[in-house]
Amino acid sequence: MPERTVTVASSVGLHARPASLFSQAAAKAGVPVTLTTKAGKSVNAASILGILSLGIGHGEEVTLSADGDGADAALDSLVQLLSTDLDKE
Amino acid sequence: MAQAALTDLLQEESIRLDCTATDRLDAVRQCGQALVAVGAADETYVDAMLQREQSVSTFVGEGVAIPHGTLAGKESVKRDALVVLRFPDGVDWDGNDVRVCVGIAAAGGGHVAILSQLAEILLDPAKAERLRSATDAQQVYDLLTPDED
Repeated sequence: MPERTVTVASSVGLHARPASLFSQAAAKAGVPVTLTTKAGKSVNAASILGILSLGIGHGEEVTLSADGDGADAALDSLVQLLSTDLDKE
Repeated sequence: MAQAALTDLLQEESIRLDCTATDRLDAVRQCGQALVAVGAADETYVDAMLQREQSVSTFVGEGVAIPHGTLAGKESVKRDALVVLRFPDGVDWDGNDVRVCVGIAAAGGGHVAILSQLAEILLDPAKAERLRSATDAQQVYDLLTPDED
């Protein structure tokens, strides 16, 4: 299964606004995407509550994985999103 | 990192179970004013909350929204606090039906821990339902109290 590991760039971590933008993008990815923390906890990346419950801070590494048609492209664009400081707009 | 319990951030007068709002921005404004009323933030934080809401909706699912300020509004936060406003008739939140708003004032990195605890509770559909249908402040308190495990 294609997967990518990425460091969360948002200065305040993956909380409300960044989490919202990220989960919306994951929901539109066309394939189910799973986000896993370094501690091994996994959630559906399209669930904002799931993402928020992880309490992911700035600079933490997470792994995204997805399977199916277009999984690689979907992961690439989500990785791009997490590598951006989403709170700086 | 020690986490402040959600209930430490919530005063009894910060739980309002019988609110009505004309629209989502009105609901956000009421959350902001409730935070100002308990001395957690000054008036400018209300504007910061409205700004954040207009930039990206704070709806998180389960009939719940979590209005809070932008980074720029953090200086107007005097202490971390929560308010819980329940709208029994619902508020239209960009097509979603919101019954409960949890307004958040947090300076620094406080947001992440607060949101994580709140999300853990809302991920349990039974608890989310109890929050939406709470009729007294004690029920809200009990829901936000961490499990003993």
